[in-house]
Amino acid sequence: MDFLRFVLERHGEIGAKTWEHLQLVGLSTGIAVSVGVPVGILLTRRERLASPIIGFANVMQTVPSLALFGFLIPIPVIGGIGMKSAVIALVLYALLPILRNTFTGIRSVDPAVVEAGRGMGMTDMQRLRYIEVPLALPTILAGVRIATVVTVGLATIASAIGAGGLGDFIFRGITMVDHRLILAGALPSALLAISFDAVLGRIEKKLDVRA
Amino acid sequence: MRAVVVGLVCLVASCSGNDPLVIGSKNFSEQVLLGEIVAQLLEARGVPVDRRLNLGGTFICHQALLAGDLDIYVEYSGTALTAILKRPVEHDPREVFETVRQSYRTELGLEWSDPLGFNNTFAMVMKPERASQLGVTRISDLAAHRDSIRPGAGHEFLEREDGFRGLVEAYGLDFASEPRGMELGLIYQALVSDQVDVIAGSSTDGLIEKFGLVVLEDDLAFFPPYDAAAVYRPDAVAREPALASVIDLLEGGIDEAAMRRLNRLVDDEGRAVDEVISEFLTERGWLEP
Repeated sequence: MDFLRFVLERHGEIGAKTWEHLQLVGLSTGIAVSVGVPVGILLTRRERLASPIIGFANVMQTVPSLALFGFLIPIPVIGGIGMKSAVIALVLYALLPILRNTFTGIRSVDPAVVEAGRGMGMTDMQRLRYIEVPLALPTILAGVRIATVVTVGLATIASAIGAGGLGDFIFRGITMVDHRLILAGALPSALLAISFDAVLGRIEKKLDVRA
Repeated sequence: MRAVVVGLVCLVASCSGNDPLVIGSKNFSEQVLLGEIVAQLLEARGVPVDRRLNLGGTFICHQALLAGDLDIYVEYSGTALTAILKRPVEHDPREVFETVRQSYRTELGLEWSDPLGFNNTFAMVMKPERASQLGVTRISDLAAHRDSIRPGAGHEFLEREDGFRGLVEAYGLDFASEPRGMELGLIYQALVSDQVDVIAGSSTDGLIEKFGLVVLEDDLAFFPPYDAAAVYRPDAVAREPALASVIDLLEGGIDEAAMRRLNRLVDDEGRAVDEVISEFLTERGWLEP
């Protein structure tokens, strides 16, 4: 009851912070997809590069998020306090699942099917476009889905470096020992994660040409 | 097996017979320094201590003290009055202090030492170039520029009644841009790198001097006095009588100049807290019981 009254009182602020959060998540997964998918495809063509690049994404994943945000603050141009360095850190985290799923998805397309395409006189680009990508799409999307859900959660920590978003409520709630504030950040963030997961899951199913 | 059990029993027994005093502090340099002072003074008197310094803010320290997870930490009278006891702001330092001390004793069962000797009020801080460009010297001057000024502060200030919201109300400062909340330790960096125009720091912060920043005058006297003093559990003094003599030393023992110097040694010169404090205590001759 107490919490409901609190939500009614502060709904404007909750809406604004949720919007900020969506921007953080949308921007960083958007960038991660537009970098991760092409690079993942490229790696299937240049397999020698695969292990160092996926290795790099792996290492990024092991850096504690608060430390990564902290590292970026003193770096000129890309770093600083606020949304910019938060997005950069979130992209680095989202990269691994997208990159790896694209790479694995395309590599696990049945070589016989690819061979058939070659037999029909398809160029490499055509095989990629009409055979490999469609067949790998569910796997690629599964990577995007994981990346998005993880980013929704990680973006709350970006509040420590002034990036705004729902983490503001959580951090204030912790310093104030006020559960209503913590919930005002954690509940919308959980709802966002669940809805992204559901929507992307549905898209994933729709695009599965194997079904 | 039996040896292990006997060993464990002894361990538990010895712990309960000789609990260390738990010393807390909030998450900024001055607080960590003060916590370290209490800890080293106690250790010099042979009292075992447990340092829980750098806890995430006023309310975490307060809750931990109430719950008995902490035995002592340093609090500020105005913070206790407005943020913890939720009383209206008053301006007479002695009155504020006595109200707080009485309420803590009767309502919470906690004790306040006498003031340590310095007042650490909130300070609205700007870069001198920006302040002179806008012609701002007092907080009320900010009102004329509320469309362009970007405020920044730690998360606690943004939520406290005697913090951002109260300030906005008292001075009519509904800024066009949302205040930027961040880790307390980052606010000076944000100000100096022009990511925000005005921040809520503390008047004793060492970085104000280091970066040559200006503190805006609180011309409507919005902020109450914030006299620092030790808050402690009475049972801790009963358990370790040496604590009483340590508190005696601290009362009136640290003035504003001394506190600012300690803050500067840590924030500006990057010295280690324990080293700075052991030098300070040796200088004062406080380490000999």
